[in-house]
Amino acid sequence: MTDAIVVEGLVREFKGGIRAVDGIDLHVRAGEVYGFLGPNGAGKSTTVRMLTTLLRPTAGKASVAGFDVATEAGSVRRSIGVALQDAAIDPFMTGRELLRLQATLHAIPRADGHARAEVLLDRVGLTDAADRRVGTYSGGMRRRLDLALALVHEPVVLFLDEPTTGLDPTSRVALWEEVRRLNRESGTTVFLTTQYLEEADQLAGRIGIIDGGKIVAEGTPAELKNNIGDATLMITPTDPSRIADAAAVLQQFGPAADGKPGAAAIRLSEGAEGIAAVVRALDHAAISTAAIDLHQPTLDDVFVVTTGHRLEGDASAAPGSGRGRKGRRE
Amino acid sequence: MTPAIVQTAALARRSIFATFRFPQAWFPSLFFPLVLMAIFTASFGRSIGFIPGFPHVDGFLSFAVTGAIVQGVLISSVGAGAFFAGDIEGGFFDRLVSSPTSRSAILLSRLCASVVLAGGQAIFFLLIALIFGATIQGGIVGALIVVVLAALLAIPMAGLGIFLALRTGSAEAVQGMFPLFFALMFFSSTFFPRETMTGWFQVAADINPISHLVEGMREQIISGVNWQQAAVSFGIIAVLAAIAVGACALSFRRRLGGDA
Amino acid sequence: MSASTFSRTASVSGMLAWRALILVRRMPAVFIPSLVMPLFILVATSGAFHGISAVPIGTSSYLAFTLPFATIMGAGFAGINAGMTLARDIEGGFVDRLIASPAPRLSLVAGPLTAAAMRSVFTTTVVLVAGLIGQLALPGILGTVMIYIMAASFAMATACWSMGVALRARTVQAAPMMQLVVFILVFTSVAYAPRDLQTGWLRTVSDWNPVTRILEFSRTAEFQSMSWTGFWGAIISIAVLMGIFGAFALYGLSRLGND
Ligand SMILES: Nc1ncnc2c1ncn2[C@@H]1O[C@H](COP(=O)(O)OP(=O)(O)OP(=O)(O)O)[C@@H](O)[C@H]1O
Ligand SMILES: [Mg+2]
Repeated sequence: MTDAIVVEGLVREFKGGIRAVDGIDLHVRAGEVYGFLGPNGAGKSTTVRMLTTLLRPTAGKASVAGFDVATEAGSVRRSIGVALQDAAIDPFMTGRELLRLQATLHAIPRADGHARAEVLLDRVGLTDAADRRVGTYSGGMRRRLDLALALVHEPVVLFLDEPTTGLDPTSRVALWEEVRRLNRESGTTVFLTTQYLEEADQLAGRIGIIDGGKIVAEGTPAELKNNIGDATLMITPTDPSRIADAAAVLQQFGPAADGKPGAAAIRLSEGAEGIAAVVRALDHAAISTAAIDLHQPTLDDVFVVTTGHRLEGDASAAPGSGRGRKGRRE
Repeated sequence: MTPAIVQTAALARRSIFATFRFPQAWFPSLFFPLVLMAIFTASFGRSIGFIPGFPHVDGFLSFAVTGAIVQGVLISSVGAGAFFAGDIEGGFFDRLVSSPTSRSAILLSRLCASVVLAGGQAIFFLLIALIFGATIQGGIVGALIVVVLAALLAIPMAGLGIFLALRTGSAEAVQGMFPLFFALMFFSSTFFPRETMTGWFQVAADINPISHLVEGMREQIISGVNWQQAAVSFGIIAVLAAIAVGACALSFRRRLGGDA
Repeated sequence: MSASTFSRTASVSGMLAWRALILVRRMPAVFIPSLVMPLFILVATSGAFHGISAVPIGTSSYLAFTLPFATIMGAGFAGINAGMTLARDIEGGFVDRLIASPAPRLSLVAGPLTAAAMRSVFTTTVVLVAGLIGQLALPGILGTVMIYIMAASFAMATACWSMGVALRARTVQAAPMMQLVVFILVFTSVAYAPRDLQTGWLRTVSDWNPVTRILEFSRTAEFQSMSWTGFWGAIISIAVLMGIFGAFALYGLSRLGND
């Protein structure tokens, strides 16, 4: 089995004609960490809910770990671990009780389930808090418990829906580390959704960008960045009146690009190595520079180029946000 | 007219219209008393002639309608308290208090609205009972006494609801007190005469002011106009109203004092 | 259902029932009212309508007449609570966790159902003890057992109804809907007077109301005058209620994740 997740033409339509997921295709290889990136309302959770058999697709096919989500739901459920977006954790039970209950849900024999619960509590650093009610846990502790719950039966494919939303930077990095370790040591395939470019960049081997229910770009982080083109070099002359001269010099090194006001900019195909030559040429033309900026493409740029709007800090521009508040449950 | 009266009238109108807009605000106060009255009447109607101590009535419905009226006023008063608590939760109360609206207008308007609604409710219950064969021995005057007493009863009851709202600031907490009041009504002669009770239960019903209040109203329906009994009911309502309104005024001040 | 599916359903249901019972201890504010209410019903009803004792109702004690009404209402509250807990679990996402696991879905309903039956045993005991305090002796072993069985059956039937509502509405806001139907069912049976004494519409309704046979049989158990006719009448009524409400709950279960 080389593909852990195969999705073809998957569609989910809600009442009122909202197409939350609008015909997506995906291939996630076994042992891969796949990042599913998109703004609020893009359709990430809806996709996850379909892949984890919580929601029936309106159209299309999907298989997880080699089993069809519609016709072989039971086998899919045995193969997957799920940590949903709103950590569905019963606040009145203790961490240890929940882990044991989860083991029962997976038909793990009692003694094994208890042993497994201890191993996982230790692994996510919750041994000391194991007998406290989950209601008293911090956000980070809940997320860690949620991850442990998803791992009780050593799943082949792990789904994490926005696992770090609402976590502070330290907890976030710790969770990333745990996901990496899991992927490295057990070869678990991880399907992770996120709104954070940095998270996808850090964790994922490949990234799919979803917007308005459609996949708008897919590839490794490096591929995606390369696809949108070269680095941008921006030169700010000390004397503002010499911008035109500076632009003329730059022209020899690459095509003009949009820059900040007061600066001349080009696309520089060689990246950082090309800077020395540019600086020498400017020197030669006696143009002194106040600032030299080299801007490498980021996933943010990928996002802007592929969707036409920014991901972070500009939610109001996202078409997804205009579709009204989503219901808590399907 | 002074501004205080205009404000009171405007706010009272708001409360009344709000009540009509939300079925959950008036439906239970009409539905539950009616259903209980119908079930009790159909369950006990044939038996009352055999029960020693049961007053002479021409049908259980004539006996039961007073209980339904009082129960209805209780339910809608708890609702009024919950509505007031909702205003506190939702910030409307703060907006009012920070405006030049007179403080007493805020309280008075809610009470006036409850009085109007309770009077309407009483008329509704009496009409339903008449349609299904009850008789009012006191005639028009007796019926009027019952309606007026029911309307006035809304003052202590809604006052209690508002008091709880001011103390807790939570609609859910006010609604949560409902079973307690409902229990209080059972330990009285609201649903059945005290003369048929025994032991400690009868003692409890004898002490419970609701018994005497209900009996004063019921007398007008099952026996005929009785001013003395009406005065007893009125007296009980007046005392309860003084306590409830006083408690409201105090907790109002406490809430505004910022230590609530 | 194969033997292994059966044993898996049983073990998961057992676990969920155990969880429902721990929640009773951990969320007293939610559960205490449903334990106090049957007691209140027993005391208030038997006290307020004590006068009915003078009428031929099959016993000379209206307290004895009310006791089965209180045990059945206690069972109804236990059933309603099963629905409220499920609604809360759907809102909180706990149910998602269960559905995404290979655990049999049936246990989602079977677990709380078991818990409701167990809780009815508790409320029934409380009411019987209150009866003892009020000088009502227990009606022999068979009679007492039958009172428990009737309560547990009614708790399961009302649990099915309430869980069906929870599975459709998926919010705790639907609690009044669960309560209303249970209350109406019990109140329009023979809650306050035997059928011979009822008049008009109530008599017609209670003739058809399945709760009537259940309550009547509980009463004959309390009065130690049980008959086979009464027994089968009660069993058939339970089967009817369970059939209708059970189908409603299972339909809701099958629709989870569908729309
Ligand atoms: N049960 C539902 N009924 C109707 N519409 C829904 C439902 N669930 C989701 N939607 C809609 O589907 C779209 C996609 O929602 P989804 O939850 O998949 O987004 P998301 O990418 O997970 O967003 P977020 O980052 O906010 O979690 C939204 O427009 C939402 O309003
Ligand atoms: Mg989401």
